[in-house]
Amino acid sequence: MSRESGAPVRYDALVRDDRIHASLYTDPRIFADEMERIFHRGWVFVGHESEVPRAGDFITRPLGMQPAIMVRGSDGHVSVLLNRCMHRGTMVCAAERGTARTFACPYHGWTYDLNGDLLGVPYPGGYDASFDKSARGLARAPRLASYRGFVFASLSPAGITLEEHLGKAVKLIDRSCDLSPEGDIELTAGWVKHRCAANWKTLPENDSDGYHLGFVHRALFNTVRSQYQSVVGDERTIKAVVRDWGGGHIEIDWSPGYQGRFEWFGGAPESLVADYVGRMERRYGSARAQQLIFEGPAHALIFPNLFLGETNVAIVQPISVDECVHWHTPIFWKGVPEFNSRLLRQSEAGMGPASFLMPEDLAIAARNHAGLQAQHVEWLELSRGLNRETMDAEGRLVSHVTDETINRALWKHYRTVMTSA
Amino acid sequence: MLSDPERQAVTHFLHMEARLADEARYAEWLALWTDDGVYWVPATTDPGADPEKHLSHIYDNRGRIETRVKMLQSGFRYSQEPASLMRRLVSNIEIDRAENGELVAHSNFILAELSVQAKHEMHWWVGRMTHRLRRVDGALKMCAKKVVLVNAAEPLPNLTFLL
Repeated sequence: MSRESGAPVRYDALVRDDRIHASLYTDPRIFADEMERIFHRGWVFVGHESEVPRAGDFITRPLGMQPAIMVRGSDGHVSVLLNRCMHRGTMVCAAERGTARTFACPYHGWTYDLNGDLLGVPYPGGYDASFDKSARGLARAPRLASYRGFVFASLSPAGITLEEHLGKAVKLIDRSCDLSPEGDIELTAGWVKHRCAANWKTLPENDSDGYHLGFVHRALFNTVRSQYQSVVGDERTIKAVVRDWGGGHIEIDWSPGYQGRFEWFGGAPESLVADYVGRMERRYGSARAQQLIFEGPAHALIFPNLFLGETNVAIVQPISVDECVHWHTPIFWKGVPEFNSRLLRQSEAGMGPASFLMPEDLAIAARNHAGLQAQHVEWLELSRGLNRETMDAEGRLVSHVTDETINRALWKHYRTVMTSA
Repeated sequence: MLSDPERQAVTHFLHMEARLADEARYAEWLALWTDDGVYWVPATTDPGADPEKHLSHIYDNRGRIETRVKMLQSGFRYSQEPASLMRRLVSNIEIDRAENGELVAHSNFILAELSVQAKHEMHWWVGRMTHRLRRVDGALKMCAKKVVLVNAAEPLPNLTFLL
């Protein structure tokens, strides 16, 4: 499959229905194509509105490979600006988060307001009347949209709407947000960032892999009981499923294997949840509330970089063909502050560099990436479950939780995006 | 004021704890904790960090410290299988006595970790530690250990060895 440098990559030849080519994880030119077509053209998750609650609040965060600022303007609207002075390109904001009235470039003092409009330029005598300040505001993501507080941006002025991008998968976001008796989540605990010596696509694939648990996480399962115990038993007794929601959005649903409500929360004492359950029933009605509480939050990837990790929200950040970062923060459900302490501890147990789950995932991801350098062997298997996956009434492919149905769904969408001009 | 023997005992404790961690002597390290021990590694260098409001890298009670150790002893903690090779220096030790009589030791450390689980890479960890020590049956034990890494808020590689 070697190709001459400069020739375009044939993604339809590299992504087959039952296998994928190893160069997809290792070729720097493919990484560059991905940044352009997936991260700089398509819809990408940037942050949650609760991270910038008041006018002037901002966070800085990469949009693909490009430094960006998500800021709440004085009119209350959230914008995503590129963190690059229009004069000589300097990052105007170095803080990771904060509150600002203006963004002033430290290099020559060009100053912008919260909408990115250029307010002033020092020593204006060096420019004549043709110097148009209004044309020199900070560049902004041309398209911005949010769903239930999740802010997505696209650096392309044209393309499908966020609504079209998310499609039916909005139900996954709903599933996580509806666990609040006020219908809102808050991401205010801060993010932990976990460095991974593997290609970025390893993260969404592994976050959605139901096959590895009993092997990669054997140390934890041998040590303590957890809500994942039911998926490491005999293949025929496992009830959890994977679902392809279309558009590269993929889900593991553990709930068919749950024995009781709050299993996703590691069980819950009545004293902690009695009041909460009552408020949920008042908001959603008894049946829907009980369903939400039983099923728990979504375990799903919203293509390409937002992972709804049950009680966490995670972000996949590509760094280079060989490196990426997994960010996570616990979901705080608005109106239930009594859960927050447990959610923090649950988050620290599951995710991050010192936790009991993700370090094994990322250690294996690094070994996976090291193994893939054996390019004498060209292909990776992707066929598991082709013999038993089925289409449900809502048009979603569903299969046994250990099946590669959702890897295929991810790669199929990837191929569509990467082959579109 | 601390007596010289007390000061020496605390300094000895810090050096011993560092050596047991470096050498992956998990059971002996676990035995240094009191039953109410709290092991805290914040995810920020902000001195106002509150583990009840902000996410931490580690905020273990005694039960979780034991889980952490048991996983390392299981042979399947792949992020430490094989275990990283480590040596750390503990320095700039300052010791106070708390109002309840516990000894509070502040120190700086530099830790060289050779990670050998996939690529062989040297990771350098630097930070400030605060140990709270109490005598239990005559021996000093840790009832709290806080480690603030200088890069606590940055993307970090696996941190599953004993810090």
